[in-house]
Amino acid sequence: MTRLVKAELLKVFTTRMVWGMLALSLGFTLISLAALSILSGQEGVPSITESAGAIALFSSAASGLVFAFIIGTLVMTGEYRFQTITHTFLITPRRERVVAAKLAACAVVGAIFGVAGMLLSAVVAVPAILIKGGSLSVIDGDIARVGVGVIAAMALYTILGLAMGSLLGNQIAAMVVGIGWIYVLENLLVVLLPSVGRWLPGGAAQAVFGVAPPIGGTPYLPAWGGALLLAGYALVFAVVASTTTIRRDIT
Amino acid sequence: MTAIEISQLTKTFGTVRAVDGVSFTVEAGTITGFLGPNGAGKTTTLRCLLGLVAADSGTALINGQSYAHLGSPISAVGAVLEATSFHPGRTARNHLRVLCVSAGLPESRADEALEQVGLADAAGQRVGGFSLGMRQRLALAGALVGKPKVYILDEPSNGLDPAGIQWLRGFLRYLAEETGAAVLVSSHVLAEVQQTVDHVVIIAKGKLVHQGRLADLTVNGSTPVRVVAREADRLGPALERAGGKVDPAPAPENAAAESAAGVLTVRGMTPEAIGQVALDERVVLSELVRERSGLEQIFLELTA
Ligand SMILES: Nc1ncnc2c1ncn2[C@@H]1O[C@H](COP(=O)(O)OP(=O)(O)OP(=O)(O)O)[C@@H](O)[C@H]1O
Ligand SMILES: [Mg+2]
Repeated sequence: MTRLVKAELLKVFTTRMVWGMLALSLGFTLISLAALSILSGQEGVPSITESAGAIALFSSAASGLVFAFIIGTLVMTGEYRFQTITHTFLITPRRERVVAAKLAACAVVGAIFGVAGMLLSAVVAVPAILIKGGSLSVIDGDIARVGVGVIAAMALYTILGLAMGSLLGNQIAAMVVGIGWIYVLENLLVVLLPSVGRWLPGGAAQAVFGVAPPIGGTPYLPAWGGALLLAGYALVFAVVASTTTIRRDIT
Repeated sequence: MTAIEISQLTKTFGTVRAVDGVSFTVEAGTITGFLGPNGAGKTTTLRCLLGLVAADSGTALINGQSYAHLGSPISAVGAVLEATSFHPGRTARNHLRVLCVSAGLPESRADEALEQVGLADAAGQRVGGFSLGMRQRLALAGALVGKPKVYILDEPSNGLDPAGIQWLRGFLRYLAEETGAAVLVSSHVLAEVQQTVDHVVIIAKGKLVHQGRLADLTVNGSTPVRVVAREADRLGPALERAGGKVDPAPAPENAAAESAAGVLTVRGMTPEAIGQVALDERVVLSELVRERSGLEQIFLELTA
């Protein structure tokens, strides 16, 4: 099994796409970090010298969730698009093992995106907080949770991409549906209809980060609830990914 | 030893019965040509054999086991399939490294296989820039990494130039004769494999129409013989009495001139037997020759 995971990771890291997506993800993180630092304390934006603002600042590390999602879709749809799925299933005819290896590889890739994002956040956020005259102690109690949350969310969204890719089989379709979901539907629901939004993967991720809900909105789930919910989604996506892949004829 | 055993295999796609009760076997150390016109069901049969397509009924076994139950499939079977491709952004070596890592083979097998197919110089190039022929060679290299004893190749000469085709023939012979492997190679053109294969399995519209040694196909008497005689009208009935099947030769462009010269196409008799009848009838022959396109003709008739 480890060698299958290793092979899946080799597949991801022997294409250039992964580096492009990582760069974009970090780019989005940087934009979010800059915006939150510059606008800190202004109308409607929490000050980064306070706990809530600092948490939001560090959570910028998850700004590129959509790129993790895209890499996840590619892990599956790339195989169909380039018909490499034939090689894959010839080597490992027990398809459930292929899916398991892909799930694990996606979790690893997502975690790498999360760690990279957290490192970038730290490099920017620490001086930004200090320059604004704040103290790093405001984030002390939360930083570990935010970090774990970012990494878990990145891993989950990569797996979500894999599931979407397995379900639709087509790269463009999976990307359009995924981006529409993350940027439009989920964002709108989390903000406009938080009673529903907090139950979605995006809301669950916010809960784990410990980000304060929009003013006057329904509070997010407690952190542990968010974590449990994320794990539940991961499980559902894993089942979707395997059932759609195992039965398909490869012609 | 029987390497491949297909029995009563059936597969339907929607309303299309792609494979319909096909049975045949392939022995170790031989090359079997798997022939049939476009859409005959060759690819589907091979994909069922490799566990990529789930058959509706029947069995397809390799070394007595279904593909999914082979311990280490790429060390047992090397497959080159049509409609298989590579990630264009990955180099040839990296493509094979992925295969080796997933199969638990040493990564050094990647370079060895590239060497064997003559792609060593292109190992570090991205596959996106490969010609069709180079891709076929890379696909073959993928089949070789596990040093299997069974090879399944679906139209492997597609995209190869004449030199490449000749190289492939030699390579398949080497696999069968030197390594004792069983080779099953599909094609829709008999002429393409005629010089390479020992056995042929012919299918048409999903059904098996012939299995046997290539030599049997040639000498079973159905190779047409072209006979030219001035007194063809007398010779024809005599040949029919002797058991031959006689047609006036098809000669579209100068039909009148030809029939005047008395051209006959005779099936079911050897040239020698025809000569004997002509001698008995005291008919002068001006030409007596096996049709050169005989095999192709048989193939067309079998698969019509
Ligand atoms: N995925 C599929 N869905 C529907 N029909 C299919 C599918 N794959 C194959 N077929 C049909 O099954 C039949 C056999 O196809 P197959 O590809 O096995 O033929 P073939 O002998 O390999 O032909 P060729 O020489 O053109 O490669 C054809 O009628 C084809 O249209
Ligand atoms: Mg075919």
